[in-house]
Amino acid sequence: MSSDGGSNGAGTRSMLRSPAVLIVGIVLTWFIAAFLVWPNANVLIQTFFPNGSFSGRAAEKLFSSQRAMKSLGNSFLLAVALSITVNVVGIFIVLVTQYFRIRGSRILFLGYATTFIYGGIVLAAGYKFIYGDKGIVTGFLLSLLPGLDPGWFSGFFAVLAVMTFATTTNHMLFVANALKGVDYQTIEAARNMGASTWTILRRIVLPMLKPTLFAVTVLSFLTGLGALSAPQVLGGREFQTITPMILTFSNSPTSRDLAALLAVILGVATILMLAVMTRLEKGGTYFSVSKVSSGLQKQQIRNPMANAAVHLVAYLLFAVYTLPVVLIVVFSFADGAAIQTGQLSPGSLTLDNYVRVLTQPSGLRPFVISIVYSALAAVIAVGGLLFVARLLQKYRNWVTTAFEYLLHIPWILPSALLALGLILSYDHPSPLVGGAVLTGTTVILLIAFVTVKIPFTLRMLKASFASVNSSLEEAATIMGAKTLYVLRRILLPIVLPAAAAITALNFNSMLDDYDTAIFLAHPLFQPLGLVIKANTDGAEGVDGVSNTFVYTVLLMVITGVTMYLVYGRAGRKPARKAKTGAGGKQDPTPVLAEAARTDPALVP
Amino acid sequence: MRRLKTLVAGAVAVALLAGCGAGAAAPTPSEPAAGTAATAPSGPPSGETLIVYTNSNGEGRGEWLTQKAAEAGFKIEIVGAGGADATNKLIAEKNNPIADVAFGLNNMYFEQIKAAGAIEPFTPSWSGEVDDAKGDKGATKAYWPLVQQAILLGYNSDKFSKDQAPKDWTDLWTQDRFKSRYERVTGLGTATAQLVFASILTRYKDDAGDLGISDEGWKQIEGYFKNGTPAVAKTDLFARIASGDTDMGQMPSSIIAEREKSFKVNVETVMPSVGVPLAIEQVALVKGTDKKDEALKFIDWFGSADTQGAWAQQFNSMPVNKAAVAKAKPEVVDFFNTLKQQDIDWSFVQANMGSWVEKIELEYMS
Repeated sequence: MSSDGGSNGAGTRSMLRSPAVLIVGIVLTWFIAAFLVWPNANVLIQTFFPNGSFSGRAAEKLFSSQRAMKSLGNSFLLAVALSITVNVVGIFIVLVTQYFRIRGSRILFLGYATTFIYGGIVLAAGYKFIYGDKGIVTGFLLSLLPGLDPGWFSGFFAVLAVMTFATTTNHMLFVANALKGVDYQTIEAARNMGASTWTILRRIVLPMLKPTLFAVTVLSFLTGLGALSAPQVLGGREFQTITPMILTFSNSPTSRDLAALLAVILGVATILMLAVMTRLEKGGTYFSVSKVSSGLQKQQIRNPMANAAVHLVAYLLFAVYTLPVVLIVVFSFADGAAIQTGQLSPGSLTLDNYVRVLTQPSGLRPFVISIVYSALAAVIAVGGLLFVARLLQKYRNWVTTAFEYLLHIPWILPSALLALGLILSYDHPSPLVGGAVLTGTTVILLIAFVTVKIPFTLRMLKASFASVNSSLEEAATIMGAKTLYVLRRILLPIVLPAAAAITALNFNSMLDDYDTAIFLAHPLFQPLGLVIKANTDGAEGVDGVSNTFVYTVLLMVITGVTMYLVYGRAGRKPARKAKTGAGGKQDPTPVLAEAARTDPALVP
Repeated sequence: MRRLKTLVAGAVAVALLAGCGAGAAAPTPSEPAAGTAATAPSGPPSGETLIVYTNSNGEGRGEWLTQKAAEAGFKIEIVGAGGADATNKLIAEKNNPIADVAFGLNNMYFEQIKAAGAIEPFTPSWSGEVDDAKGDKGATKAYWPLVQQAILLGYNSDKFSKDQAPKDWTDLWTQDRFKSRYERVTGLGTATAQLVFASILTRYKDDAGDLGISDEGWKQIEGYFKNGTPAVAKTDLFARIASGDTDMGQMPSSIIAEREKSFKVNVETVMPSVGVPLAIEQVALVKGTDKKDEALKFIDWFGSADTQGAWAQQFNSMPVNKAAVAKAKPEVVDFFNTLKQQDIDWSFVQANMGSWVEKIELEYMS
């Protein structure tokens, strides 16, 4: 408790006393200066001070453009709406799969987990197959309501719906994980005192999840701000967002200042959101009073009406989640014309698409390169930030606050500009990297991948450290354990499930990256994103679109396997065992870890 | 087995390089003497690996070229990127170039790259076989033409007869029967879209107007966006024509035959009296490459009548090289022979395209 509330001066001084902290601090300072501040400062200076003097042209142009202002407004509207709807749906599916006793919850979990493995333009296309003007559901609705507009599923409502269902991944991983840490004895006690299911949920369970919910809310907000493919496919005329405009402008040297300004506006909004959430997060840390805590048991919904309603909604959502995936897999066997006109005949399904994609001369090589790059970047980002996140969470003073905000720089700029910044800064020998030239090497893409993943990784790691009770660590310290020892033997086992999930998500999200790779990839080691682009773009004609579907399904397989290896095996275990989490098996101190994991609970 | 070995080697190399933190050494840019255009020395290719940037690697072109080049003794590694991406990449890397050769980009893009100083003048062995007017019009020539494409307005000929069809782009928004029946773009990132706008705007050149275009010209753009149906992401124009969503829109000449077949539609193209804009794909030598001799030999081979003829045969394209035309498909050659090229002032377009795109994106797209 004391370290959490440590005041500024004392915090800074005590922080600097530990050699481990000092080393991490030096490395971190170098990394931030070399790869976050310097490249991005370079690209921003070049953009806003083209001839050495500031140009206000960008602001003037943007603020007088109706379209820009409307699109910007739409992006913000979507961000705010999404922060709410994703939480509603996300918390519901977490409760249904982890908290309430629901029939077939294992199956439901698998259905809801489909968002782990796919996204982007194909996901939006999948929803369009079902709800679009020629979709299955639309056809059904038209037979019921002949007056219905076949294009009913478009605009703000459609975009919000699709993005809500598409982005509950973070809830499924992190909120579910936090839920497992709730002390069941507190719940039992509350029930004995006559609290209803709803009261227990509202007063005990949800407040326990607060740090994690704050973190995922920031992410939902950010997802809404950066929305690209769902509005493009489903937004129609009246609901277009700002990201397509940013992408167009960042590709045109004469308009790059507009792109940078728009990106900075979105970035500042994100940082403000972050600041608000950080403040809220500080408002309450909850500790358990029970000395022997026990694992969560699933709750029966006692009101039969409510029980039936929850079951019904849960299975409806299951259908909403799984139908697009099923159709995408089916359509990946159809020819491009069938995909684009939405007309499918069973006889037309062949393996041709897969044969074409997999027998290219480049073959599996791009897959291997992408897997190696993504795995390295994911492990480096999480491994490197484990200690950093812990420090930021433990020592709260102006130094750590400044570091924390600096580490969010990659959220401010679009990845194309981040990549340009790295090229500008390291295409000549630079003392910041020991006089090396980084462009044209294999390292520069890895650096970019790690950098881009820092903000997400940091937020989620910090949230998981926040739900660890500090009394365990204090006890260990009093008994003479060193900082590193405490981290390794006590804290790591507790946050390991979350860390593994973050690693998996990072890995998955980088597999098909194009925006960074196009500028930074080594010509002889071209990752998958470039190959996908070459096979799917420009020629949006026939093969292009079916190739997109094949790559999506292949990526689904890779990401599905990843999720299973890293997270699925632990997640599938019943509550009794899940308590020890994924780290339980290799954990040298299972007793201690288990105690820590279940210890924090709530005193309202 | 060999592929497996390469894979493993590749993976190990990535891991090793990433681990040790420093990769290939910086090449030393060799500055050519100013004003002289480089030519290839005689002799066979050395077999050094050339890095080739292009936006023209899709639909099997990259693989085809890699293989044919290998047969001729050249080892090339193709890096594919869209036109705008490839341009930005070449300009961004000019201090420490990675590519040796770039091809496929049109005059507009190469003019930008030349202005940034990222490519250097050269004269290929086939310079006498191509029309000067189609390549670099500057005094020192830094890019040379390979393949030409017409950017056309195509319509569903099952719905419109030749008499009923539009006669020019401007008919689309000035005549009520075409309103909402043509597809309009939702972004100006592609070269095809930019050429369509170049074709429309340059007709209204007015030094006193905004960005060199008269008010009348900007009214045309307003009409274009107001009356068209927006394109749909990842849905091809031909798919929309097939389903009856729309009847006409922009298309490059090379894709028409193939798409007509896949989507089972019949498309005819409009020949405006001012002519149609041509997109001419070029090839250039990257400035500062340390494999200049090999790169020049490769360009000599790639632009030669034999190679260009084979390329045209394979990909239904129209070569610029006059000696290669004989090997192109007769229907393609006929089409280009009947076609009138619109006379466009490319230096005017190049100087203004960035601002035009910006103005259109901000003010006219909705």
